[in-house]
Amino acid sequence: MADVPPTRMNQQIFKGKKKAAEGGHKLLKKKADALKVKFRDYAKAIAETKSSMTGDSSNAFFSMTQAEYAAGNFKQKVAEGSMTARVRVGAGVDNVAGVKLPVFTKYDTGAAADNQSLGLVGGGKKIQNVREKFTDLLEMLIKLASLQTSFQTLDEALKVTNRRVNALENVTIPKIEGILGYIARELDELEREDFTRLKLVQGKKEIEIKREAAQKAKEAAKIMVSGQARPKSNDADITAAFDANDDEDVVF
Amino acid sequence: MSTPAPQAAAGNIATFNILHGFPEALVRGMRSSFLGDQDYHHLTQCETLDDVRLNLTETDYGDAIADFNAITPAVLQKAAIEKLVTEFKYLRTQSVEPLATFLDFITYEYMIENVMLLLKGALSGRDINELIEQCHPLGMFKESTMRSIPTFENSARGYADLYQTVLVDTPVGPYFAMFLQESSEHQGTDARHVLEEVEIEIIKSSLIKYWIEDFYHFVQKIGGETADIMGELLRVRADTNAINITLNSFGTPLNEPAMRSSDRKRLYPAVGHLYPAGTTELTEVSNEEELGRVLDLFPQYAAIWSMHASGGDKSIDDVFYERDVQSLELAFESQFHFGVFYAYAKLKEQEIRNLVWISECILQQQKDEINKFVPVFSFHSPWRGSKRR
Repeated sequence: MADVPPTRMNQQIFKGKKKAAEGGHKLLKKKADALKVKFRDYAKAIAETKSSMTGDSSNAFFSMTQAEYAAGNFKQKVAEGSMTARVRVGAGVDNVAGVKLPVFTKYDTGAAADNQSLGLVGGGKKIQNVREKFTDLLEMLIKLASLQTSFQTLDEALKVTNRRVNALENVTIPKIEGILGYIARELDELEREDFTRLKLVQGKKEIEIKREAAQKAKEAAKIMVSGQARPKSNDADITAAFDANDDEDVVF
Repeated sequence: MSTPAPQAAAGNIATFNILHGFPEALVRGMRSSFLGDQDYHHLTQCETLDDVRLNLTETDYGDAIADFNAITPAVLQKAAIEKLVTEFKYLRTQSVEPLATFLDFITYEYMIENVMLLLKGALSGRDINELIEQCHPLGMFKESTMRSIPTFENSARGYADLYQTVLVDTPVGPYFAMFLQESSEHQGTDARHVLEEVEIEIIKSSLIKYWIEDFYHFVQKIGGETADIMGELLRVRADTNAINITLNSFGTPLNEPAMRSSDRKRLYPAVGHLYPAGTTELTEVSNEEELGRVLDLFPQYAAIWSMHASGGDKSIDDVFYERDVQSLELAFESQFHFGVFYAYAKLKEQEIRNLVWISECILQQQKDEINKFVPVFSFHSPWRGSKRR
């Protein structure tokens, strides 16, 4: 605080800084509120998706059991066969209140399903069922993954923003206010000093004037006592020597 | 077909026991090792897999799972299959011709699956040890043969070599030869392309078709009661395959009109009640309605089909399993034929399926579905009178 010289210019500068800080604080608070709302939405969506997924995944795995009962162990055959992806995951970016969030979307590649003749001699329908159930589960998984990564990024962003808001509120603005207060006080004090000095000088001047007036009065009294003094030949008064009626008017 | 005819007949009521009495006695003894209604009841009441383990220790499976502290459905399945393999191998070592070949025939089914797995795995470049672990233990052939399969290079000549040196040694080699020959005739491509392009299931279905036909002819040559009982079982098996192939091909490339007569028809076995009239009809079928109409002509399948068409709890696979268990149980009702051995292997398989189903249901907490299995030799089966206790 003591580093800042208490000048009017600095006062202006710091007034500007305070305005900027308060404006920034308001904007950041708005951003934090928007992020908080989105945060809560995401948390709700994640809880919903997770709870619906428990049902889906147990169905999917049970359909696997049913298929193995009907068709024997076909896991090995699937693992050995060719695998072309029927579903791909695309990564995109979503913008929320200035924060970039990752989102995943599901694309169907449109490739034909492999191993379609699995379970040809038994259990074919059950294997179809497994395929469908796991496709649904995959969709939920992709959605959940997208929600969770967005949630994490959002969480980070919210933390950072809150940190900034708090910093502005509790550190920067009070500091600036402190400096402004200091400057104001110093300026006041300087003004008062000036004022006091001025008063002193004025006081001295008055004493001086009084003294001179007293001196003049003394001298005037002395002259009055010592004789009549021609006003015209009064040396002290040169202008008294000049009389407007002394000369005749020049008429052209 | 490719297997030589049996050297001796199985014998009839007077002569069967001379050569095959001991194995049959063994099988009848093993029949009592099946889980009964009580056992299934206890198992379905279990809450956790530890309870299941506890209940199983009192049954015949006690030894099989004694080594494991905690069982999972996969562990249980493996242990149960090992037990079946041990019992089967024992039977095999005690048998002479023609029973020995008969028992070998039973294993060919699993061998076909193993060979397909090894070949496809070798094509994708998997480690041979992993593949061998995944093979079905009933269908193992010589270790050296198995190990040499992936060493062949992935080229046209490689496959020809592979066939000539390796596959021809295995008992299922001839089926392979027939398949490759037929495909290359049909499509004009050579062995390598066939193996790469055709889906593994289709190759397997073709091989199974040859196997069923071969088995059927062998059984007919044995004659006697075996021919009757096994013949019927195999005919029904062939029909089941044909119906399943047709039903499951809807919605896949196999159902396209072009593919139907060329590829799908070749998968129907040449034995069975549906052959030849039914299978010709089935070739043209393109959806479930038409399939239903074709099956209506055959009374025994009309009933099954109506169960499937009416929807409800049972899928067609469940109905087929029930029907199979019923006919296999009947094989145990008479003596002096080889059908009991086939029935024993298949019924044991069903029991293992049941065990895995029950333990998965318990593990996944799906108690409502737990009763959807087909118990073997159950007193409550719908085809037995419920008065019997």
